[in-house]
Amino acid sequence: MKKFLNLSLIIFLILFQLKSFAEERNYHKELITDWSRIFPDKNRNAAGPKFFKYIIDKKITYKDFIEFNKLYCAVSGSLIDPNSDSEFLFIEETKTRKKICGNYYRCCVPCSCDLMKYSETQKMKYEFKDGLKEFYVLTIKNPCGKNDFPNRVNKDYFCDGKKINKSEVYSLDDQIVIGLLHNGKICEKNEIDFVKSHQVTGRYCNLRNNTPLENLDAGMGDIFIKLAR
Amino acid sequence: MKIKIINNLKKVVVLFFILTPNNLHADFFEDITSQIVDNPKRLSYGISVTDLNQDGNFDFIVTGFGYLNLALSYENGKLINIVNQKKFSDEFRRTIGVAACDIDKDGFEEIYFLNTDTYSGTKKYSDRLLDMRDNNYFDLFELEKNKENLNLTAGRSVACVDRKGDGEYGIYVANYGGPSRFYEIENESIKDKAQNLNLDNITGGRAVVSGHILTDRADIFAANERGANFLFKNNNGNFEDVAFDYRIDDAIQNGRGTALSDIYYRGRLDILSGNWLGYHRAWILENREFKDIGNKAFDKPSRIRTIISADFDNDGFDEVFMNNIAEPNKLFRIKDNGKFEQINFQVGLEANGYGTGAAVADIDNDGVLELLVARGESKEQPLTLYKAKVNKENKYLRIKPLNKYGAPARGATVTLITNKRKHSKTIDAGSGYLCQMEPVAHYGIRKNEKNFKVEIKWTNGTKKLFNVSELNQTITIKQK
Repeated sequence: MKKFLNLSLIIFLILFQLKSFAEERNYHKELITDWSRIFPDKNRNAAGPKFFKYIIDKKITYKDFIEFNKLYCAVSGSLIDPNSDSEFLFIEETKTRKKICGNYYRCCVPCSCDLMKYSETQKMKYEFKDGLKEFYVLTIKNPCGKNDFPNRVNKDYFCDGKKINKSEVYSLDDQIVIGLLHNGKICEKNEIDFVKSHQVTGRYCNLRNNTPLENLDAGMGDIFIKLAR
Repeated sequence: MKIKIINNLKKVVVLFFILTPNNLHADFFEDITSQIVDNPKRLSYGISVTDLNQDGNFDFIVTGFGYLNLALSYENGKLINIVNQKKFSDEFRRTIGVAACDIDKDGFEEIYFLNTDTYSGTKKYSDRLLDMRDNNYFDLFELEKNKENLNLTAGRSVACVDRKGDGEYGIYVANYGGPSRFYEIENESIKDKAQNLNLDNITGGRAVVSGHILTDRADIFAANERGANFLFKNNNGNFEDVAFDYRIDDAIQNGRGTALSDIYYRGRLDILSGNWLGYHRAWILENREFKDIGNKAFDKPSRIRTIISADFDNDGFDEVFMNNIAEPNKLFRIKDNGKFEQINFQVGLEANGYGTGAAVADIDNDGVLELLVARGESKEQPLTLYKAKVNKENKYLRIKPLNKYGAPARGATVTLITNKRKHSKTIDAGSGYLCQMEPVAHYGIRKNEKNFKVEIKWTNGTKKLFNVSELNQTITIKQK
């Protein structure tokens, strides 16, 4: 028995050491390193879709996919500091019009409001290194036919004429995928109540979403809204 | 029963310590700051190492920001300021960057002082380029013929570049908020050739190194703030920025200090680059791209200023000294296969030090490097001087290449080839943040190391190989 305990302790210590020697993947550093690859013209305005495409094109595991998608704001295109908190919110599903609840990693609170009002969500399946997975993605309608396409957004990132530029962004049913809705699922009633009464997703977003476009200066201002509405 | 339990616990404790990475040992550095005579609190920035008084020994040049520029020479066990001439001391011009090299091919190094009285953009006072006549310093920029080429843009670091490989050095000036400059002598006048050489990019210039990075000529790497880094590939004396192609542009980080280091001990110079509150980089060239191999301990963001790669303790493995401002300094040993091993240390940690620049030189000629740390910026502090506690059995070899004019061959590459390694070092042309190291390749010797050969790649790409039979010496080699 004692020998067994001793042996167990030794194995535990060795495993502890091996774990401490192993280098964890630094997702944030990878995005910083490749930033100029993702945005060759240095314009990341509303360019969450570029991040999503860059990430999903990597040959990675589902865990990697989840972690990478916590590190940029789908609305603004900004990088987000690691360990940032997420916003719990709901988005309407394109096909069912049901409210899908989940977590959204954003650079600042106005982005949560813009996302809730102007984006939709869809289920997506994808084959990762460790198997086929299903998850909810955030989408916007094809903006390429817009006459008022926001001039501070690089249209070439999104569009090939009036079509979505599939070599630059990922599309689903003629919608552009702008990011991932983490832990997405159909909302319970109490979750909807929580979101609606929350100081950001409820009170602040009510205020922002009722402000005339020309008066919006927080977050991305009106850039994302003009792209997504 | 109790005794058995205690014995088992002892075994576990012993095993734990065997398996735990053992960086805990007697302190790495010894504080020898007391060797500096007259060391008041001041704002010091860049440091360069050159033989200022031409006595065959190196001296530290320490810049002062609203304080005197100093020339610290080692005499009778003390570091003493040996220059009090106004053009040199220049208390009011606020000097931060410094580099020395022979721009006029007379065999002696001129001194470039980068002055900056504003953070960015246009500044009031120009830089100085000091030469000596009849034991008196004079400023080449004050000559009427050179006044049209003054640098009146805020800047940071300076490096010497023998772009043509002919021993005629030019000076790259990393400016902030204005075009970079590249000064060379042409028709006996100082000319800014940056535009003609494709070097006049506008950025937040912070750090610059030059050496054999990509080609057999002097290439330039510049670490920038609020803009991508530059990697200027030398193409017959002209330059092309290939930082993006080589994935070393690091566009959204803010560069501070940078140094050339043979991280894999494979006979080529790779790049260390410290980013202000960003990931520090250990870039290895592989398949025409730089790959960052820094581990989690190394790349951890900090308030970094200068970065130095040198073998302080003569064990044959280079250390990396990271000088942080108002945050403890860090020290790593680069083991084989690019493994960065963090060294725990107390002396030299300077947790409350406002480190700005630092430089290494074997200032007392005993075969062990001294580390001089400049401090200042937002708080006046004295200089500090350290030396590693070296195992007395450790040996060293120092190679001092001189070019055909007899000047330090800054930008040349020295490679030590033995049964254990092929280890390249640059003859420092300017590195770290605002600084320049001694123009010597300093090697500690590893255990059981033998069959010593040294190869020098001169700034024109030609090579000289020779055997070394005796250690613990400085070998001076002059280019033919």
